[in-house]
Amino acid sequence: MSEALLRIEGVSKKYGPNTVLKDVSFEIGKGEVVGLLGDNGAGKSTLVKIMSGVVDSTVGDFFWDGQKIEKMNRNVTEKLGVETIFQDSALVPQMTITRNIFMGREVTNRFGFMKMKEMDAVAAEVLDSVVTIEGIKSPKQLVSSLSGGQAQAVAIARAVHFKRSLLILDEPTSALAVRATEALLGYLTQLKGEGVSSVLVTHNLHHAFQVCDRHIVMNHGKKILDARREDTSVEELTAAVVEGAVGLARFREGSF
Amino acid sequence: MSDKTPGRRGPILEVPLPTEAISLKRKPSGEPDSLFGRMNYNLQFIRGRGALEISIVLIVLLAGYVTASLISPTGFAFLNPNNLSGVISQSVPVLAILGLAAGILMIAGEFDLSLGANITLSAIVFIKTSEAAGLWLGIAAGIATGVAVALVNGIIVVYTKIPSFIATLGMSFFWMGAGIFINGTSPAALTTSREGTMEYLFAHNFGSFRSQLVWLLIIGVLAWFFMHRHKLGNHIFAVGGNPAAAEAISIKTKRVKLMSFAIFGGLVGFAAILIAVRTSSIQPGGTATEDFTLFAIAAAVVGGTSLTGGRGSVIGIIVGAALIELIRNGLLLAKAPGFYITLFVGVTIVIAAIFNKLMEGKAR
Repeated sequence: MSEALLRIEGVSKKYGPNTVLKDVSFEIGKGEVVGLLGDNGAGKSTLVKIMSGVVDSTVGDFFWDGQKIEKMNRNVTEKLGVETIFQDSALVPQMTITRNIFMGREVTNRFGFMKMKEMDAVAAEVLDSVVTIEGIKSPKQLVSSLSGGQAQAVAIARAVHFKRSLLILDEPTSALAVRATEALLGYLTQLKGEGVSSVLVTHNLHHAFQVCDRHIVMNHGKKILDARREDTSVEELTAAVVEGAVGLARFREGSF
Repeated sequence: MSDKTPGRRGPILEVPLPTEAISLKRKPSGEPDSLFGRMNYNLQFIRGRGALEISIVLIVLLAGYVTASLISPTGFAFLNPNNLSGVISQSVPVLAILGLAAGILMIAGEFDLSLGANITLSAIVFIKTSEAAGLWLGIAAGIATGVAVALVNGIIVVYTKIPSFIATLGMSFFWMGAGIFINGTSPAALTTSREGTMEYLFAHNFGSFRSQLVWLLIIGVLAWFFMHRHKLGNHIFAVGGNPAAAEAISIKTKRVKLMSFAIFGGLVGFAAILIAVRTSSIQPGGTATEDFTLFAIAAAVVGGTSLTGGRGSVIGIIVGAALIELIRNGLLLAKAPGFYITLFVGVTIVIAAIFNKLMEGKAR
């Protein structure tokens, strides 16, 4: 096995007197889909913020492709190709698809003016080749006119187009209809083939179990389970998520 | 784990997915070929984005005014050069520039209610510097004051996260007081320095239009290219529309908001110069400029700018300002008593806001 894409060692995070994360370590392999599971308040979103560089960890080491990273901040994660897709807020609804795809990475001349024609053409191609979404008539459409599933697809297409190497999807399925969810999970399976790693943060175990190669369960700020798909089961994950370490132990006793 | 290396282009996500939203292939471009078809196609993307509907209202109103004026040149003297040059081309540009200032800030998701106080302070600084050190330094000082005032407001809003409504409302009293502090309570007046270049630049009568209209054209074109074609303008829309999404994609939202405040201040400072040269004197702490605060926001709203940020257009805002001033002018020409003028302007603004709200849902 080659070096992991991202390896996290002994990460803790304190907000004042509250410890939100306690000594969390795990790795995300290249092209791996990792499910980050846990109940509300388990520390998932803090972990996501740390991985995407929005929030500093109190202690902990980070290794990208074996190289130690001194400090995870937005500039570093942007360069490394980490992209976070938050459930409802990945795109700007009042802007066109083209402008959303190129947001912050506009194609401009040297005075900073955007090349609209070029951007529209690339956007149309991205919509065609990366994700094929019916119902999108033109990249000039406003994102507010898209359904939740279409918008997620556009956000994923954007990340793929800009060759992001690690996608973090924060509760991507919570606002989606059943069929759009199926489609989204399908994208993740395909991303894997491209060597794009992804982290799927969810509390829907069934969605996670469907696509993830590995599952990490968080409980009260600690990692209590880290298992490859073939070594675990939906039942074990459920026990870990719902009842924490105690439930996990009880489940294992029962199953032995 | 996959051994494949990333980077291959082409379709990578074309699993035949079980949803109505996903199909195998889409026409590369849905654009029709015929001229009419293309117009119709483009129209559907302009609808509900602010400028189109309000422009139609303006054109209808203008057609009405012109007709009335042609029928009765004395009863409704709209086309009279005195009216066009003396009223329309002095009042519309000032309100439009202030509307652009307020509108750009609103697109970024913020307000600045100290606009009126900023005008007074910038105008006083402009007048005093021009009188003492000449026109060019005066212009620079006036605009710099506008930018500085807005930036102080912006820093307070951005770093304390106090809603801009409250922060700038409070600051507006402070800036009003600052005007009195540097000038005393007597009006600041332009005397000899107004003659010549200054008058020619900012208030000259060219027959049927004045200098102010030329400035509006220049600023309007620059603002359009900046907001709708420059990447920084794109960032302003992004930050106002969805700050979290902008942040996630590494746009520095605080910096973009501060930049919007600075642009706001620059435009307000410039409008203050236009107002100062037109009126020749400014009363510190006076209420004459305070109306502009809400009228500027009204022009932006009438022009289709969203009150919650992320939506608006330069053309819409200019048209909105023109509409407000035309209604005011029409009522004056029709000899409506002063009381009714504010009444009708108020009603127009509310109707426009409702209209906008309805259109927002229709936007594609």
